[in-house]
Amino acid sequence: MSGAPLSIDFAEVEGRHLLAIVDEYVALLDGPRDAKDAGVNRLAPDPYPDDRDAADEYRTSTREDLLDTRLAEALSVRTALEGFESPAGADLETRTIEISAADLDPWLRTLSGIRLVLATRLGIGRHDAHDQEDPRFGTYDWLGYRLELLVQLADRHDA
Amino acid sequence: MSTPRATPVIDQQLTAAPLVPWQLVVWDDPVNLMSYVARIFRTYFGYPKEKAERLMLAVHNEGHAIVATGPRETMEMHAQAMHGFGLWATVRRADQ
Repeated sequence: MSGAPLSIDFAEVEGRHLLAIVDEYVALLDGPRDAKDAGVNRLAPDPYPDDRDAADEYRTSTREDLLDTRLAEALSVRTALEGFESPAGADLETRTIEISAADLDPWLRTLSGIRLVLATRLGIGRHDAHDQEDPRFGTYDWLGYRLELLVQLADRHDA
Repeated sequence: MSTPRATPVIDQQLTAAPLVPWQLVVWDDPVNLMSYVARIFRTYFGYPKEKAERLMLAVHNEGHAIVATGPRETMEMHAQAMHGFGLWATVRRADQ
């Protein structure tokens, strides 16, 4: 992988929206974590669905680590986005964000982590057959689009 | 030069508990993007692009794929890494 940063463009309105979503995600991960929250639990799944003892042992040793890492990564994404707190132009004007090679995985994991939490909230289970026109899925679909662009950019960056 | 003497060591423990490898299984989910999953298989495991794509498609089409095989501790480490990426991964004995 080359060490050059990746550049991605966000419209002002997109950047503000993403910053607000990342803040919600940070709030979910920071502080007391609800062991019964399906969204949080999706970020720390059970590797032993048929062996409760092994699952408990694994969860005890890894769950908090996984969620701590998620939090640290989300905060690094937040730092990159915090400029959107003060608008630099009209809603549809674009601003370029630079993502360092080291921050690439944190970005990919944060966007996908947010989608996993949203999917849990939206009730997307084993299959996703949601109506593209349903406005509740707008943010979810938009994050998927942004993540797809970032993956493509990252793959080209590696090549 | 000497010739090693073949002295068979019969370890009852090993005989009683043969070394069974473990598997890391990644399961399909409707949320993670196909491009993202293939990228993880390529960048985390270091698999060539073709193998990463094939495993991703196996997860997508067959519902799951065995992505790695080896000692239990290693498979648990991989599972934790997969969970860090948001993939749904489980660990099981190869003979299950």
